[in-house]
Amino acid sequence: MRWCKTAAAVARARKLVVGMASAVFASAGGGSVPAHADPLRLRGDALVQTGGSGSPTGVLVLQGQDTRQPWVSAEGLVWAGATPSATGDVLVLAVHLREPHGYAELQAGRFVLATGAVHPVQIDGGRVIARAPWGSTVETFGGAPVVPRFGSRSYDWLAGGRIAESVADLGTLGFSYVQRRDGGEVSSEDIGADAAFAPVKWFDLGGFAAYDVTDPGIAEARASAAVKVDDWRVELFASQLSPGRLLPSTSLFSVLGDFPSQTFGGTVRWHAAPRLDLLASGAGQDVSGGLGSNGWVRASLKLDDRGDGTLGLELRRTDVPGAEWSGARAIAAMPLGGGFRYSEEIEIAVPDHPDGRGVAWPWGLSALSWRSREGWDVAAALEASSTPLHRYEADALVRLSFALGKP
Amino acid sequence: MSRRPVGLTLLMVLAVTLAACASVLGIRRQPASHPFEHRAHVMRGVGCLECHKGIEITGDTGPLHLPSDADCVRCHQQPHDSRPCQTCHGETYVRDAAELARARLRFTHSRHMIAAQGDCVRCHATVTESRPDTVMPKMATCFGCHEHRDQWTLRDCNGCHVDLAAEGSMPEDHLVHEGDWLREHGSRAASERDLCASCHTERQCASCHGEGTVAALPWKLALGDDVRLAGLHRAGFGARHSLEARADPGICTTCHTESSCLDCHSRRGVAPGSTSASPHPPGWLTPSGGDHGSQARVDPVSCAGCHGGAGEQLCVGCHRVGGPGGNPHGPGFNSRKDEHHDLPCRLCHGAGP
Repeated sequence: MRWCKTAAAVARARKLVVGMASAVFASAGGGSVPAHADPLRLRGDALVQTGGSGSPTGVLVLQGQDTRQPWVSAEGLVWAGATPSATGDVLVLAVHLREPHGYAELQAGRFVLATGAVHPVQIDGGRVIARAPWGSTVETFGGAPVVPRFGSRSYDWLAGGRIAESVADLGTLGFSYVQRRDGGEVSSEDIGADAAFAPVKWFDLGGFAAYDVTDPGIAEARASAAVKVDDWRVELFASQLSPGRLLPSTSLFSVLGDFPSQTFGGTVRWHAAPRLDLLASGAGQDVSGGLGSNGWVRASLKLDDRGDGTLGLELRRTDVPGAEWSGARAIAAMPLGGGFRYSEEIEIAVPDHPDGRGVAWPWGLSALSWRSREGWDVAAALEASSTPLHRYEADALVRLSFALGKP
Repeated sequence: MSRRPVGLTLLMVLAVTLAACASVLGIRRQPASHPFEHRAHVMRGVGCLECHKGIEITGDTGPLHLPSDADCVRCHQQPHDSRPCQTCHGETYVRDAAELARARLRFTHSRHMIAAQGDCVRCHATVTESRPDTVMPKMATCFGCHEHRDQWTLRDCNGCHVDLAAEGSMPEDHLVHEGDWLREHGSRAASERDLCASCHTERQCASCHGEGTVAALPWKLALGDDVRLAGLHRAGFGARHSLEARADPGICTTCHTESSCLDCHSRRGVAPGSTSASPHPPGWLTPSGGDHGSQARVDPVSCAGCHGGAGEQLCVGCHRVGGPGGNPHGPGFNSRKDEHHDLPCRLCHGAGP
């Protein structure tokens, strides 16, 4: 058995060498790629919305992706708008290099860093992953956290890494570390562990825990376990979150103390009929010493086998001290033929304690859209609501989109 | 009046209702849908290659080798309709799926025909079923022969998939996103973020987790297309967001940083310095303190959203050492920081000697 493992490792190592050689060859321009999808894909969306009593607002979003070679891809998403003052930002601008067989990856540019127990953060920086054929992974990353609208903070950067080991096909166990500095001072330093296991096809488990080193204690922990049998899926989940530890320790609001909240609950999904799904979820909560609960039930009915048309209904109740409310939501979407499509969404939220903000907050949106085979997509909608801020509000929305390049 | 007609009428209404429900729920198929009659051909001994001519020697490019009308009339010499056969026999979405599979997968029939020794049914098992959705094999069928453990470990899907992220297809038998996936995905993705990246682009992650998020909600940009119940900021979220934030303190920081609140509140005139409205409920700040202290301890991130950075001076004004606001530290507060030199301690405790 041991010999077999060694022989397999030798074969994999040979593949690694061949893979690296082919990457070098490909980077020299000699690669031959039988890709059929359009390598360059672009999409533009323009959304204009009347601003109720204010000025109209508009957003233009441009995104693109190029995978001309399988070992390199580039991706970008920029937007500009009048909301109502002129503004804009770069959401993604990243290059991704990949050893053809997956032994190494390099990502550089602006992207969302989220790995292991590291809290998701968008950075301007880089990330390198190295993988061994036997399932070990080493990852390191660093960069400057993004400040919206091209702002900047001095001496603000983060760096860290993660090591992980896959246990055959059963799962993965990982450990991570991240340190962030703000104004030259350590603003957060976390170590974390993460795990995902699927020992049998009908059961899986995943979760992570992050431990705050600067002010010792658990910053965030989440776990989820699910069992799936025939048309039923039952999931149990638990979480602990310390908001005070999620702030940089250089923030004044981090000195208020540690008041974590815990949640424990479950979700049941029943595939009741080929087109009908029923879901129910409930959780008990301890929000800084105040006990509460929340839950919802949801029904989704497809109007055809492909799911082009849908009807849905959701009922919700949240009963946490200071946040007691009930709500209902209904959706309907149906194709009308000729590329046209109609959809309707309505919601009503009823707070237990209105405090002069209105006894109920209704909201509704009716939309009509049309899509052409050439890549054009047009949609128009009417949105009306009553909110704590405005007694009545009505808006019209128009979207025009164009996509170039097919997958 | 006899009770029999009433009973019969009720029975008929019940039967019609049940039949309608069966159609709506998908238990009974709509008569309009008409999958191709593969089984009938197989039962009559028609070989696959008689209609799909030349498929046994194809590579991973080129036409689909679907039969033309000329192929059909070789046997069906008196067609019952003048329209093309594919108008009724076979469903458009199945042909579309076959075209997409041709575009998205690196797959050659020629190599597989040798391995399967010409037995098409070994992969296309549903061809013998009476009314299958499609005869295209599912990925589990591929795994029946190709174990792909190494590729799974190395996240190397490119051997078969041209570009999974662009493909955008939902897996049917592995990594299925079920239940309350929006809440669940964080726990699941922690250990396998790079596996997620096999299908999901950076843009998809950044549309929620990005700091410079587009000033329009993702679902609003997909207006009319993307209608579903699940979604964190869907529908009248603007009205109920303060209740949702209060019910799960800190959850907003999963995607937003402290500055995100101020960005939106400023646009809507609900921000420090604004005279139009205050987001705080009655009793928030009173001469004896009010609710703001206890609420700030539960979710300090929300406070930092508008009052962070330079706005911290608002708190310092009252809560500095010797100030009228008193000690803001919670029970059991302990810090390793130097109160006279490190931030944020020095804001209230003052610079030391």
